[in-house]
Amino acid sequence: MSARRVYLDNSATTPVDPRVAAVMTRALIENFGNASSVHGFGQQARAAVDRARREVAALIGARQNEIVFTSGGTEANNLAIRGLCESSVAHGRHIITSAIEHPSVAGVCLELEKRGWEVTRLPVYANGIVKIDDLAHALRVDTVLITVMLANNEIGTIQPVSHIGSLVRERRAAGQRLWLHTDAVQAAGRLSLNVDELGCDLLTISAHKLYAPKGIGALYVRRGVRLHSQNVGGHQERERRAGTENVPGIIAFGEAAKLAREELGERAARDRVLRDRFEAKVRTQISDIVMNGDREQRLSHLSNISFRFIEGEGLLINLDLEGVAVSTGSACSSGTLEPSPVIRALGVDDELARGSIRFSFGKDNTDADVDYAIEVLMRAVERLRALSPLTVSHGSHG
Amino acid sequence: MAYSATFKEHLSRPRNVGELPEASAIADEKNPVCGDRLRLSLIVKNDRIETARYLAYGCPPTLVCGSVLTELITGKTTTEALELTRADLLKAIGGLPSRKHHATALAIETLHSALAKLN
Repeated sequence: MSARRVYLDNSATTPVDPRVAAVMTRALIENFGNASSVHGFGQQARAAVDRARREVAALIGARQNEIVFTSGGTEANNLAIRGLCESSVAHGRHIITSAIEHPSVAGVCLELEKRGWEVTRLPVYANGIVKIDDLAHALRVDTVLITVMLANNEIGTIQPVSHIGSLVRERRAAGQRLWLHTDAVQAAGRLSLNVDELGCDLLTISAHKLYAPKGIGALYVRRGVRLHSQNVGGHQERERRAGTENVPGIIAFGEAAKLAREELGERAARDRVLRDRFEAKVRTQISDIVMNGDREQRLSHLSNISFRFIEGEGLLINLDLEGVAVSTGSACSSGTLEPSPVIRALGVDDELARGSIRFSFGKDNTDADVDYAIEVLMRAVERLRALSPLTVSHGSHG
Repeated sequence: MAYSATFKEHLSRPRNVGELPEASAIADEKNPVCGDRLRLSLIVKNDRIETARYLAYGCPPTLVCGSVLTELITGKTTTEALELTRADLLKAIGGLPSRKHHATALAIETLHSALAKLN
């Protein structure tokens, strides 16, 4: 294993910001009360949870009582989709989603489908973005939920959620009981978010993508939207999510949300510079590549590239052996036989889907990290292509 | 399980890569399920495998199986090579996670296919 380590997998998770870790460590030691307790220890914890709730709400332009803390993005997506559908059975059993959702959305939709709901999955095109016209055609009088992610986790493409929000509001004004959920796990802290501008009723965020620890997330629930609780047996989170609050996690999330809001512009600009430097070098120094997803409508920190003639996991491990951490959409890596459904949804062939690698930059990366990653990447691609029977010609060596 | 040191070493420094224009036999096999491919070229003289080269496309275990296989068979008689099993290959690699064991099947199948072409 290389001594040098470069972390380019910030879409998978981010390192905890030392400022967040400091606040959380203090909370673990000094603020251990149960936020539901009536005594002073409990009230101290409650006050800290309330402060954090205000910060998380501020990150997305919501009111503090519209935030439900969860164990993370997956739980928030489960609560949003199941909770909304189960409470709206009287109004219909049709859901519209996209073909490129995170498994925590796609999986819940599939499960509801098995239980009798109908699900329409909107296609994306070569650019990795859904079309509003497709959505308009898919809408039915019994559609109760649209769940379309704000930004994709593999290719970073930004979906037209605010347009969808306008459509939902029009339908609602005409009397339809229809709600909009968006999974903003990848977008939060990277795009400026406002739930009113988006026009969504439910929005998912996760702390560990924002330089906070794992195990904490939140669901925004617009005032007046009814959800069938998935966790019962306690009065926490206004009866919407029973269970003792993860007070230190929530405090860390609050601090991370505050920092994300304050530093969002600076972080996004920096990520973009690193990403663009990386992509420019890849383009000039490595042949036979395809950059996946729309070039403009995408998150500024992420680059998804397919390398022809080679398989992603081999490339991932070769990079890892030299200290560079990335993700792949290859089938081997995911433990399935099918390569990434997201890359496949772009209409590309299996070989390109299997050879896709996600590089995701973060606030701690530097120009030197990019240069080192390129150097390692060039070597690894060359080595694997020399091995590949898919390339045109080979001599005998070794 | 994690990949072994031997595995990582072969992945970063694959042995016997390439094709042999003057090969006695060339076999090209594909795993129809996952699409992995292995091409094996052999030069056999006096019933002994003198030179083996491989090319591979697929997940890391397929790439490493090709590399380790060529090392194992070089210098062996064709009869000895035919006796090589998936377990032998797995042992030489230092083990594989169970869901990756199929890579050894492709390697042994490609070897058998190449040896069959000699006759």
